[in-house]
Amino acid sequence: MKQVAAIAVNTFKETIRDRVLAVIVVFALIMIVGGLWLGSISLGEQGRMMKDFGLVAVTFFGLIVAVFVAAGLVHKEVEKRTVFVLFSKPVSRAAFITGKFIGLCGTMAVVLAGMGVFLFLLVWAVAGDASSMILVAVLMIYVQLLAVMAVTIFFSTMGSAILASVLGICVFVAGQLSHNVLSLTRLGKNAVTEALSWVIYVVIPNFSAVDVKAGVVGEDTLAWGEIAIWSGYLLAYVVVVLALASLVFRRKEF
Amino acid sequence: MTSAPAVHISGLHKTVHVGFRRRAVQILKGVDLRVEDGAVFGLLGPNGAGKTTTVKVALGLMRPTSGSVELGVPGLSHVGYLPENPYFYDYLSGREFLGFCGQLFGLDADVRRERVRALLGDVGLEAAADTHLRKYSKGMLQRIGIAQALVNDPELVLLDEPMTGLDPVGRVEVKRIIESLHERGKTVLFNSHILSDVNELCSQIAIMREGRVVWHGSVDDALEDAPTLEDFFMKVVTA
Repeated sequence: MKQVAAIAVNTFKETIRDRVLAVIVVFALIMIVGGLWLGSISLGEQGRMMKDFGLVAVTFFGLIVAVFVAAGLVHKEVEKRTVFVLFSKPVSRAAFITGKFIGLCGTMAVVLAGMGVFLFLLVWAVAGDASSMILVAVLMIYVQLLAVMAVTIFFSTMGSAILASVLGICVFVAGQLSHNVLSLTRLGKNAVTEALSWVIYVVIPNFSAVDVKAGVVGEDTLAWGEIAIWSGYLLAYVVVVLALASLVFRRKEF
Repeated sequence: MTSAPAVHISGLHKTVHVGFRRRAVQILKGVDLRVEDGAVFGLLGPNGAGKTTTVKVALGLMRPTSGSVELGVPGLSHVGYLPENPYFYDYLSGREFLGFCGQLFGLDADVRRERVRALLGDVGLEAAADTHLRKYSKGMLQRIGIAQALVNDPELVLLDEPMTGLDPVGRVEVKRIIESLHERGKTVLFNSHILSDVNELCSQIAIMREGRVVWHGSVDDALEDAPTLEDFFMKVVTA
């Protein structure tokens, strides 16, 4: 456990001190402020437009941080040969993967909390109808991105950082659509395609099930029980994916 | 009766597969090596002889294809290792990096702090302790690398080219560290191309060539056969 904690803290320092991260966050904040303009041209819907656009910006930039930082975490250690220092000490591969993931979770929490609070304050100051639901929506984006980070780390143990980033983004996009794919194949009434889409539905998590953006802007009524179950599923998914990443990484030689 | 060796390698083979066609390349072709407890041991050989691979297999960074490696210590928590041309975390200061390494060994905060302070003094990096590693010169990185290898006060120290990149002052300091480790009964195994250092520090040496140990014995035995260690080395590797 001490090793996991040490690697997590080290990863947090590594990622939070990365200048690229600061640039991405600045861009995200500019984008969120850009929602002011959209709000100003939408009659009577300023608050709603700002929330909608702001949450999309938080998701987009959160995803960028999640995949690009997660993809580089393991890869950089191997490329720069710092793994020699780590694995010549009593550090297991599983502790390494877990520590890296937890450290990145910390960084992602700081990044998303910063963006979420900024959006909340902006909506409150400009439109005056900020609700705590904005922060809940950001929390649910965080839950989705945890799964994306785990999947990206898993891919980075097998291939290049770029490939892992691309696959991480693919999983996120596919996860937004997997529910629709399942619904569509059910309409076709073909047992084989339905079974296949079930497999995809399990392997690629249904991110749309924990997406509460529509609820925040008042377009949808949220089923909290279902959201809680899906959140639990996503967290279990993270554990399984990290265990698989550890297994793959255990076979690596340096 | 002899005591248990610090390192005992027998019949070690390592084959790796490279390129698109996964061509098999034999790096180690049956390495046999015995390093006595408390010795300062020099592992010599030309580039590509398999010295670094032997050390990596001993540490578990690579798996042997066949053969065995036995360390005379209970586990990696009693081993210190300096890799060749070390590269560490740019964004950490020297002090933070050594603290991190101490944490990986599970050292308590007080012990860690004291150990880090002492090691920074031993390797002459007190003034640069709070400077980020990205601002360190090659020689400073080598020194911090040696310090991280000693942070757990190991029984067995494996140093891969410890003198590389060091200026004469740095070399003298590293030699002093190795001598002090020897005086404290630690086992030191190091790879080096600087034969004068090997002559000065080691009691035993092994010479590797093309994945095998081709000569193993004491420095005194080697010097009976040739006027200098360099001459002896050339004689063995070109034989």
